[in-house]
Amino acid sequence: MQTGTKISGIAHLGLIAVAIFGGAFRSEPLPFEVHEVSVISSEDFAALSVPRQPPQIADEPAAPEPPEPLAETPKPIARPEPEPVQAEPEPVPEPAEPDDAVVPEPTATPEIDRVAPEPVVTPPEDARPDVIEQAEVTPDEGAETPQEAQEATAPEQATDRIVTEAVETARLAPLRSPRPPRSRPTPPAPTPVAEPAPEAEPAPDTSTASAVDAAVAAALAGPATEPDAPVGPPLSAGEKDALRVAVSQCWNVDVGGKSSQVVVTVAMSLDQSGKVIGNSVRLLGSEGGNEQSVQTAFQAARRAILRCQKTGYELPADKYAQWRDIEMTFNPERMRIK
Amino acid sequence: MKRFLASLLLGAALYSAPVMAQDGPLRIEITEGVIEPLPFAAPVFVPDTPAAAAQATQLTQVVAADLIGTGLFREITADAHIGTVSDFSAPIQYADWKAINAQALITGAVAVDGDKLTVRFRVWDVFSGAELGSGLQFVGSAEGWRRMAHKVADQVYSRITGEGGYFDSRVVFVSETGPKDDRRKRLAIMDYDGANVQYLTDSSSIVLAPRFSPNGKQVLYTSYESGFPHIHVLDVGLVQQRVLEQSEGTMSFAPRFAPDGRTVVFSLEQGGNTDLYALDLASGSRTRLTNAPSIETAPSFSPDGSQIVFESDRSGNQQLYVMPANGGEARRISFGQGRYGTPVWSPRGDLIAFTKQNNGRFHIGVMRVDGSEERLLTASFLDEGPTWAPNGRVIMFARETQGAAGRSALYSVDISGRNLRPVRTPDGGSDPSWSPLQD
Repeated sequence: MQTGTKISGIAHLGLIAVAIFGGAFRSEPLPFEVHEVSVISSEDFAALSVPRQPPQIADEPAAPEPPEPLAETPKPIARPEPEPVQAEPEPVPEPAEPDDAVVPEPTATPEIDRVAPEPVVTPPEDARPDVIEQAEVTPDEGAETPQEAQEATAPEQATDRIVTEAVETARLAPLRSPRPPRSRPTPPAPTPVAEPAPEAEPAPDTSTASAVDAAVAAALAGPATEPDAPVGPPLSAGEKDALRVAVSQCWNVDVGGKSSQVVVTVAMSLDQSGKVIGNSVRLLGSEGGNEQSVQTAFQAARRAILRCQKTGYELPADKYAQWRDIEMTFNPERMRIK
Repeated sequence: MKRFLASLLLGAALYSAPVMAQDGPLRIEITEGVIEPLPFAAPVFVPDTPAAAAQATQLTQVVAADLIGTGLFREITADAHIGTVSDFSAPIQYADWKAINAQALITGAVAVDGDKLTVRFRVWDVFSGAELGSGLQFVGSAEGWRRMAHKVADQVYSRITGEGGYFDSRVVFVSETGPKDDRRKRLAIMDYDGANVQYLTDSSSIVLAPRFSPNGKQVLYTSYESGFPHIHVLDVGLVQQRVLEQSEGTMSFAPRFAPDGRTVVFSLEQGGNTDLYALDLASGSRTRLTNAPSIETAPSFSPDGSQIVFESDRSGNQQLYVMPANGGEARRISFGQGRYGTPVWSPRGDLIAFTKQNNGRFHIGVMRVDGSEERLLTASFLDEGPTWAPNGRVIMFARETQGAAGRSALYSVDISGRNLRPVRTPDGGSDPSWSPLQD
């Protein structure tokens, strides 16, 4: 037998011996709970099990000692008499729903069929939306003939999101106010004053100041102003937002239609009262869709602009030169069905 | 250092220059709008002849009902109108219609001459003060006044939405009567809105899954007339039917026409295995499209006829697959939870409608043809069997209520998931199939 084999055999035997006697194969005992108990005799157990005697109860409880009379007797607090509850009027039987409105399976959350820019909560049961919207009418003061006050038509229940029957999500409060953001009051526009042109080319840089002056002068002199560019201060972000919100409230998007795949840019001119001039709304360009979809998208954009102008968009009169001509892009990407 | 400072200032000045000055017209981007029905006014069409008064009223009502039924339009009723239209050719007083916020105005005139009915109409964009399209006239028989009204509504819908209409179309479906354990089924056909129901078969044998041909003149369906399911074809005009596919010892079902109408694809069960086959109607030759030990069924062609979507349980449960129309490798497109079945390719070609069963509920849903952007439109105890409107905008399906007294009825829903509404039928209904627009 070779020496290596012997050494290997002895080493393996040693390893096996260490494993067996060293406890390598000994498993740890499984954990278990230990509760301490004490052994008692049957007599003791019987004694413990005997029902306890009920406590002795005195025949009559000792009369409590009367409290010492107070120096001043407190006056009784006068409690207001409850007003007589008015009898509730008899419930008016609701008119039967038309058959067309039958919903096969009532769900926990009622399905809201109307989508509007501002969600409207369910009107009370006794205030059903009328077919004809009725504005609130209050009697004229000093009128000779008696007039009845008319209540406004209850707002129709509406939501601002499409929620399919399959995906009913929790109703969320609007994340931001649908009102147009209020812009700060516009300061009177300063009379545009032409910047004086630098009289002469600055001398070669001999100091930091001259270099800076030269840079500023060059920037201000900059690119020549286009002849058509409006003069005066531009609209503030708030003023632009107000116009954006005003138009978007009238932009009705057919989210399931092909026109919702089209981005259109329209141009228009406004008069000084903020109204669109004549037929100045025209299609400038479009992205996506076929010709018919583009035309449909343009018509929807035009309707939005014309419908929401009412008596004219509220724009700062002193900046008319800035908003006389407008290019408006209608991009429905965020509203498409995803 | 000096040069560096000068460059820095020059850059800053140049950068700020465009912000301070506005170059050209004011530019605004609108990214949010509203989703609400478009208000329209449809004053009663002017009767050109005294005899046309009643039909003018009925016809106007059907046009308005068609538009309202889409969920995209809201009618401003006549009692709110300020202006009147007593002469079809008179100029429109836009201010009267703007005042009641009517965005679209439909004017028309009706004349009756014997059995001949003439309808003229125009559509106006009130706020633009312009006509949408140009005036159009339909002439037909007085008996077909409802179809005339549907055709007018299709034109109005198309001019406002820019898409084809679907009102002048029909639906073939299985009419159901009796309790669940003894249900009597027969084929019926009706206008898309549930009017003019006619029965095509009697209830002596079970009929299933009728499917219109591309020209709307024939209907394929599965009948148990022989005791086993076999495919029949029925001529809608003549109400004559014949067996299309019946081989000894086999069961054939789930037929559907190819877009060219020359081929029928269907499922054939043979020796316990179900595969898809194509039948050439001219030669009668049959071609096997799939060859798998699993069940392949419910095939539906893409509008260009190049592909077929179908359901198969080859992956262990029911899923949707797409393969070339002449067979070949199938690509799985449904990967969501639950089981998918009865896929139908949209006439637009962009979506596939399906039935989904998940967590004990049934849904009608749509997904892109690659399986992406899955959206569930409905949820109930049992919704199944979607079919597309000819314009690919609306889906009709069958909904069955729970319990022994449960009833199956037809419903329609817009692909946006809105405007879920029942379709009125005299009895229960299931397995609807929407025809193309009629000629």
